[in-house]
Amino acid sequence: MNRETELGVQAWMDGELPPTEAASVATLATSDPQAAALLAELKHTRAALAGNELERAVPASREFYWSRIQRELERLENQPAAPRRPVWLSWWMRFLAPAAIVAVLALVLFTPTFAPSSAHRTVHPAEIESPLDDVSVLTFRSEAERMTVVWVNFQ
Amino acid sequence: MSKKLDYPSSSDQELVQNAQKGDMLAFEELVARHRDKVYARAFSMVRNEDEAVDLSQEAWVKGWQRLKQFHGQASFLTWMTRIVINLCLDHLRKQKRGRTESIELMDEEIGGVERQMPVVTVNPTEGLERAELRQRIDRALNQLSYAHRTVLVLHEFEQLEYKEVANRMGCSIGTVMSRLFYARRKMAVLLAGLRDEQKP
Repeated sequence: MNRETELGVQAWMDGELPPTEAASVATLATSDPQAAALLAELKHTRAALAGNELERAVPASREFYWSRIQRELERLENQPAAPRRPVWLSWWMRFLAPAAIVAVLALVLFTPTFAPSSAHRTVHPAEIESPLDDVSVLTFRSEAERMTVVWVNFQ
Repeated sequence: MSKKLDYPSSSDQELVQNAQKGDMLAFEELVARHRDKVYARAFSMVRNEDEAVDLSQEAWVKGWQRLKQFHGQASFLTWMTRIVINLCLDHLRKQKRGRTESIELMDEEIGGVERQMPVVTVNPTEGLERAELRQRIDRALNQLSYAHRTVLVLHEFEQLEYKEVANRMGCSIGTVMSRLFYARRKMAVLLAGLRDEQKP
């Protein structure tokens, strides 16, 4: 028996085989001694496990166990709820704001009118920061390659 | 004025309904009623008393927070058990347990180890008292890797289908089949071995 057949026997026992495959495995399980022995072993194990999980009790008193849960629930209930951001603002922050940052950077860096010469540049692109809490921007400029990479990270 | 609930004699459904309205005493009764089962499920997966207590308590906190999402499609205990299982799976994933485990899993993926196990021809648990059988199963479970044990717990004890086990464990159905096969075969050998050890 190869591995695939063995797994097939198991799947048949578990009722997980489609009817089209079930018939051939059923035949094999009755006609092949190896398959029959394997099936018997799998059935014994399954029967042994059924309903025979060891019962366990919490190693603490009812009061002690509950007290920690209660403390945590009270802590969570006393926590000030985070102010909810309006849906339109969330959408703006998530999609449009990063796009706007990239657009502004591209404008500044690649438009000759705006781009200062490297000798007079006062702000390096890497210093440009996102004003948004959940969006961070990282830029890398290679003068040799005359290329700028802008990495926008959505939290 | 609403009638005061007699918590110990109330049904789970009544307690859940009250807890959903914010009655923490009703929730406490639910915890007292089902804490052993929820803890036992956590223990069966993580095999550590302290971790199982922590995870089961965390599950009750999550249960309270999500109580409004419970609509009674399954029993309350089944719902809570699903929560603790998910927490245990996350916990086990974070732990990324040891090298031995990886070697065992690698062996299983290759499919060599269980092929060398002789088929256990006799029923290794026949004639055992239930309490003794449970003890032996528990000892045998302890000797399985967490991945094999988890598949057994989810399939045999929680009665989840292959697809559901795969979804929860974040693996393919083929992997579930393979792990379940290995775990069952190893359990058969371990149970037979434990039986032989105890023969006079």
